[in-house]
Amino acid sequence: MTAVISFIFWLAVIPFCIGLIPANFIPPEKRSPGFAALAGYFGMWALFEVSAVPAVLWVEYNNFRTASVLFSALSLLSAAAGIWLLYRNGKAGKPGLLTGKQGTGSGFRRKKKISAADIEWLLFFVLLGFQLYKAAAFASFDGDDAYYVVESLIAQEAGVMYRILPLTGGSTGLDVRHAMAVFPMWTAFVSVRAGVHATIVSHVVMPLVLIPLTYLLYYEIGRTLFGKAPKDSAGEAVQAERKPGITARADGVFHRENLPVFMIMMAMFQIFGNVSIYTNETFFLTRTWQGKALAGALVIPALFWVFLQIYDKGVRNRRTAAGFWMLLVCIHMTAGVCSSIAVFLVCILDALMTFCLAVAERDWKILFKVGAACIPNVIYMAVYVFMAYSYLL
Amino acid sequence: MWGIFLESVVIFKNYMGWHENHFLAGLYLFALLYLWLTEKDKRRRILFVYAPTLLLLLFFCPLFRKVFVRLMEDSETYYRLLWLLQMSLVSAYGLIRLMGRHRRIGLAAVCLLIIACGDYVYDGEHISRAENAYHLPQEAVDIVDMIEPEEGRITVLVPADLIYYIRQYSTDIELPYGREMLIARWDYYNAMYEAMEKAEVIDTQAFVELTRGYPCAYVILKEDREASEPLTDYGFSVYGQVGEFVIYKDMTLQGAQ
Repeated sequence: MTAVISFIFWLAVIPFCIGLIPANFIPPEKRSPGFAALAGYFGMWALFEVSAVPAVLWVEYNNFRTASVLFSALSLLSAAAGIWLLYRNGKAGKPGLLTGKQGTGSGFRRKKKISAADIEWLLFFVLLGFQLYKAAAFASFDGDDAYYVVESLIAQEAGVMYRILPLTGGSTGLDVRHAMAVFPMWTAFVSVRAGVHATIVSHVVMPLVLIPLTYLLYYEIGRTLFGKAPKDSAGEAVQAERKPGITARADGVFHRENLPVFMIMMAMFQIFGNVSIYTNETFFLTRTWQGKALAGALVIPALFWVFLQIYDKGVRNRRTAAGFWMLLVCIHMTAGVCSSIAVFLVCILDALMTFCLAVAERDWKILFKVGAACIPNVIYMAVYVFMAYSYLL
Repeated sequence: MWGIFLESVVIFKNYMGWHENHFLAGLYLFALLYLWLTEKDKRRRILFVYAPTLLLLLFFCPLFRKVFVRLMEDSETYYRLLWLLQMSLVSAYGLIRLMGRHRRIGLAAVCLLIIACGDYVYDGEHISRAENAYHLPQEAVDIVDMIEPEEGRITVLVPADLIYYIRQYSTDIELPYGREMLIARWDYYNAMYEAMEKAEVIDTQAFVELTRGYPCAYVILKEDREASEPLTDYGFSVYGQVGEFVIYKDMTLQGAQ
């Protein structure tokens, strides 16, 4: 029972409360519980990076315990700040941080008939439930677990990070490439707080958390894509087809009812995306607990999500909400938590999207803005290079 | 440069699974082409059309591959650049746009296409019903439960079948060698591994000398593993058996009695 309460606290309450901070800095119409949960997770992982990476690199003894204490303090403070912002907003009568609306009326409405969309949602939840069942009841062998899962277990049992060779148990020098990607240490942190064996947390608890979280991200992306007709820079609804007089909304392409269809398709692509062992879909469902799987399934699509939000808001004539930029920084930092290659990958995607945006919008300032959001990645890569090649100095 | 380009083509084909007749990539390329022709919103065009197209061009660019491999010091992970394409996301968006108002029939058709062109992830050879909450083979768990010391750590020699799992259950068990020996392309050498796995028949005398060099408190062998002489002739005793694995304890080590 204590373990369940601890899981709920560290995997639901804390990230959700942290997510209220960026939610406070985005336009009310963009707020949602999904935004708070996702932003909270990325914020929490960013906090974990600043707690754990310095401890890995520069604390020799009991570095896991040092990182855990620091991370606990930072996340509790951030969660408290989120709750304070929620309280302050409510007291001032401003739009809510979760719904963007005043008041807390139930979002559920009584409907007399079951619509086609309801059945589609049901179908999606069946597909999601099937994936969760498979994740919990079936074991997926992956050789990399001998490294990553054992790293988590060593941190849990010995209280040290990356100082013991996971494959054999001998002592080792710092393997910088793996040591800076501290996702296994976050798994270890959750395991220690819940008092559950790190291998169980990796193989069972993490998929049950990360798979729904990933679909929550797809839901938020779908909500942005299909919630309303996109507008061009002049604010006019874009025509979906070359049919005079038919707007995109009337044509049905951007209708909200496409959201469950989108979710079903995404689920189908994940379940049948195993065209090779290399795809991010395969990683997502067979190695969900590994940082690199998280990078492919959650971090990279999250960049699409944030850029969609920024792009939909427009970059030239309107000031883009600070909360999205905070989120972008946190996503970049999460990439470093997942894998050192992911840091490089997200920078490539950032560069491509931003370059295209700068050309299309003729707004070169966007290059500097996104460049500034990449500073954590630049620091990460600089530390990586320094630590990897310091023996040459 | 041409050679590097061809390598990228091979990586791309392997990633997309064309050699195994999987054609989800075709669906993606079709959706991408459709979006090229029909997407009017400038910002979404950037995300779903221009960025993926530029990425594809970058992926096949030999110079870029050289830089990537040099920076990452690893050519094996180049395929992860293709993760940036987010094929599912772009395909789903493009196909929903294509479906327009024909939502239900379109969804059914797309689902059938995904099933036909893709590959079901859960029928892979590495996925099996979990035997316990750890998602580890029960034999590995039972063996560790038998031999795990109450305090401190011990070194144990285990067959290749168990190497991945033992330390996922307990880090109090150390191994003379680990997973690195099982990946042929990594090309490591370990005398203990050679004696344990490579020799057709274990040369018991040399084998025992090696195990005592670590020293290994226990040696676990498959019951059908052939040895020139029984281990019991060299100071080992049979400690127990779990499934096909026989556990030998080295009685000559201090505290073994």
